[in-house]
Amino acid sequence: MKCSLLAIKARQAAGVFIFFAATPFSSSVARPGAEGAELDRARAAVARRALSLVEPSIVTIETIGGTQPEPEQQGFGPPTTRPARGRGGVRVADGPTTGLIHSPDGLILTSSFNFVRDPSIITVILTDGSRHVARLLARDTIRRLALLRIDATGLPLPAWSPDGDMAVGQYAVACGRGYGGPAPSVSVGIVSALGRRGGQVFQTDARTSPVNYGGPLIDIDGRVLGVIVPMAGAGSELAGVQWYDSGIGFAVPRETIERSIDRLARGDDIHPGKMGVLLSQVDEPRDMPPSAEPDKSPRVAIRAVATPSPAQRAGLRAGDVIAALGGAPIGGIDDLQRRVGDLEAGAEIVLTIERDGRPQEIRLTLARARDIGPSWLDPEQESPPPATQPADPPPDS
Amino acid sequence: MRRGRCMPLLALAAACGLMPTVAAGAPQKESDVLPPAIPNVVEDAWRAALPCVVKLYGGAIGSAHGYGTGVIVSSAGQIVTIDSVMLDARNLRAVLHDGRTFHAEVIRRDADRELALLRIESHDLPLLEPETSASLEIADGVIAAGNCFKVAEGEEPVTVMYGVLAARTALDLRRRAQPLAYGGEVLVLDAITSNPGMAGGPVLDLTGRWVGIVAGIAEAESTGTRLNYALPIEEVRAFLGRGGTSEEAAARGASGNAPAASASGADRGPAAAGPRGARPDTGLRLFNLGYRDVAAFVDRVVPGSPAQRAGIRPDDLIIAVDGKRVATISDYERIAADWRNGQTVRLTLKRGDEVLTVEMIVEPPR
Repeated sequence: MKCSLLAIKARQAAGVFIFFAATPFSSSVARPGAEGAELDRARAAVARRALSLVEPSIVTIETIGGTQPEPEQQGFGPPTTRPARGRGGVRVADGPTTGLIHSPDGLILTSSFNFVRDPSIITVILTDGSRHVARLLARDTIRRLALLRIDATGLPLPAWSPDGDMAVGQYAVACGRGYGGPAPSVSVGIVSALGRRGGQVFQTDARTSPVNYGGPLIDIDGRVLGVIVPMAGAGSELAGVQWYDSGIGFAVPRETIERSIDRLARGDDIHPGKMGVLLSQVDEPRDMPPSAEPDKSPRVAIRAVATPSPAQRAGLRAGDVIAALGGAPIGGIDDLQRRVGDLEAGAEIVLTIERDGRPQEIRLTLARARDIGPSWLDPEQESPPPATQPADPPPDS
Repeated sequence: MRRGRCMPLLALAAACGLMPTVAAGAPQKESDVLPPAIPNVVEDAWRAALPCVVKLYGGAIGSAHGYGTGVIVSSAGQIVTIDSVMLDARNLRAVLHDGRTFHAEVIRRDADRELALLRIESHDLPLLEPETSASLEIADGVIAAGNCFKVAEGEEPVTVMYGVLAARTALDLRRRAQPLAYGGEVLVLDAITSNPGMAGGPVLDLTGRWVGIVAGIAEAESTGTRLNYALPIEEVRAFLGRGGTSEEAAARGASGNAPAASASGADRGPAAAGPRGARPDTGLRLFNLGYRDVAAFVDRVVPGSPAQRAGIRPDDLIIAVDGKRVATISDYERIAADWRNGQTVRLTLKRGDEVLTVEMIVEPPR
């Protein structure tokens, strides 16, 4: 379907060129590059048309109150690029942000990033200029989404791109209201990759930043491909913001949104799942049974188990080596953390562990970070072990 | 390669029906219809400007980068660039596109716009004419060029970037903790120009028209992120004393691109001073415990005051004035300081879960 459509477009394109080649330009022939400019103007007109179709559904969010989050407190490591504000974190400004109308009766979809300051008052400004008090119904801190409700009816819904119709290389325009002003800003790019983060989000090279987090990434027909979110690493709503404007941006497609939207509408926050363990990488394979294949993949061992925690309830112990999650081998601490972090608190997982050289399967139900600890279950040590590797604050995963 | 680059443009335009197609009766084989050469948009637009762009090398003072970009604006050796401490170097050098190096001196600066005019001892130089940015619309293609990270050496040409106009608006800007003086409209670029050495580089539209100048590295107050932006070329013209004609101003106003006319420097807004007579007092008393950055809740409304006549009540929260957000008491006070007697202002209030807008006539106390 997609292929034939593209073929048609290409054929039409060829036709257009003939039009260009055969028709003398009536205007600005004197300037060098008039033909090229003409083509690019057509491209720009297409982008503006796409924007105009979705624009009535792109709202401005303004917040009052709240405080600058402390990146360090949220397990957010110092960014490697663009240090700002001395403390080494990205300064979370309190300027306008972007949302997308999700239901005619007042649901507004946006990014949880826009509320990391925990503002006391949220207002939504529609394209007709009307301002509404908004209630933050819930946040999905895995997908970095948030759902607002305003008291309104008859709101204009955007058109969404049909599920499964997205392809790498297709045009993608990021739209945001973060600069204020009458019109949304645009950044033009393409879809760079599908199926990131366990298939939950996709990637674009359009510039994404606080200017457009919560806004739509649209296709060239003005249909929404996804909601733009910061996304890199597990952790707070801030993780990933350090990649702003880098050409590595993420958006959440409709399939993913639909998995959590009903719960968000009911007011249920969605939290990343944690096992309640402190991990360390095992560099030397140890206690390998003689029959085993030599294994070069990095091995992850449990350094300590928090109590109470899912790990403690499932009987995990310090020294256990985690070999696989859901039957798929672990590619190191980062890999395990990311894969667990993409799962929700309440999700049941199956770990394959090695204890005393023997594999066994352990089932456990992930919990929210706040429901874990603060003590450590460690027969060998009375005090919590110092966090050596990784440097994230325990409990680690 | 060239074909691959340009086809999407054509396909897009055709797919969206924005350009007439001659599909009926079109040849069957694509090889028959593909043109011998599809124009290279960027090169065509850039070719004439290339010899007019110079690389500047000055002093690396403190955290400032010791290099930048300039544009030749007179054949007698005048160069426009973005002002920075880099220009204070005794051995400020300008390297032309052909590799010739000249000593440059600063002859004029504009602190508000952060523009500077340099001179080199030369003549018969190719120059760029500052034109107009009025016709530039959102999503239009633009080209920015400059001495980015000083990767170009000697006669090597500067870096050229393609992007689109992301937005056109006035923004509060800051560099580290320091707010910038410039308060006028900026061209926000969807191209990563916010890097060392790019400042002073020209921004061209795709007909090669000079429409803006890449400005110094700064953060947008509203987003907390580095802004990729340029000053509209009208600011360069004003700086050079080649101000826009009234026709142009009218065209800009009609183009719907936010406030027309330059809003920077000396001609920014009317002075705040009210007319002779009593200072306005609206009778609005905010809940002020001495902190300036708390939300603007109404504590008291003086009986018989303009605020009471407007229907404002205690515990209302002022969230906007004339459509501009009020997040804190100091935001409100800053806006109210410009009010003049007789003026009508629109206050947006949050009362419970309601948002209402009231009009208040600013008057002296009775």
